[in-house]
Amino acid sequence: MKDSKDKPEIDEIGCLEAINGLYAYLDGEMNDPESIAKFEHHLEHCQACYSRTELESALGELIRKSAKGKAPEKLQNRLRKLIDGI
Amino acid sequence: MTDPDTKAWFSRNIEQCMDSLYGLALRLTRSNANAEDLVAESVAKAWSALATLEDKERFRPWLFRILHNCYISEYRKKSVRPVEYGYDDIVVDGKEDDITGFLIEQPDDFLNWWGNPEREFANSLLGEDIVSAIQMLPEAFRIAVLLVNVEGLSYDEAAEVLGVPPGTIRSRMKRGRTLLQKALWQHANEAGLITDDVKRGCKS
Repeated sequence: MKDSKDKPEIDEIGCLEAINGLYAYLDGEMNDPESIAKFEHHLEHCQACYSRTELESALGELIRKSAKGKAPEKLQNRLRKLIDGI
Repeated sequence: MTDPDTKAWFSRNIEQCMDSLYGLALRLTRSNANAEDLVAESVAKAWSALATLEDKERFRPWLFRILHNCYISEYRKKSVRPVEYGYDDIVVDGKEDDITGFLIEQPDDFLNWWGNPEREFANSLLGEDIVSAIQMLPEAFRIAVLLVNVEGLSYDEAAEVLGVPPGTIRSRMKRGRTLLQKALWQHANEAGLITDDVKRGCKS
């Protein structure tokens, strides 16, 4: 049996702090391991923040897919000609 | 840098960036013709300015910066401008970074929905709903969301593109996304996609 003293202690954060860190977490901009651990620990214990994170993640994916551009062939040819000519 | 290897390298990198350049240009100018001209002009400027590229690994943000500058100096005035949220409605007392303060200023029914997130909401939306909502964002928020969320740039890279501190990108991402959700929520509300329970703030 593992002694409770061996478990790393994680400071609790509240919903306000979690919500303020949510986008940095989803964008891969929360670089400090301690902040990530605190945020994930909060998600494990807070259904509302967990659900918000799930929805934000799904919306982020939808935004990525929907707003991606596709250069028209006419533009592709125009750019290739432009580069050929320089 | 005008040797054939450099030209081939430039060509390869432009090929890889064509879709992104066009996507950004289209969301900025809101016109296919202007977007194509903006991209072509930016690529020509990028070639002329290639000697100023200090780190080849950062070609993408460098190129996006040229496109953004070119848009501001020559295309912004020509852009079609639909109804946008006003910037002054979004930034109150300069507290750009406080998302909770911003949320508190929103209507109660939106807050009730925000506090009772349902993943299914995302499934009910169409790609065109998302694009319309993005187009309604003020430019400063729209470009931040496009660079980070769509093109996958880091906050540092997006800051480099726009010539602002990374902290500004961080706050614009928070507010931009919240505004996007508000627009999507309004659309879903009008289309009857939000249940009465969620509107009242109690999940069924």
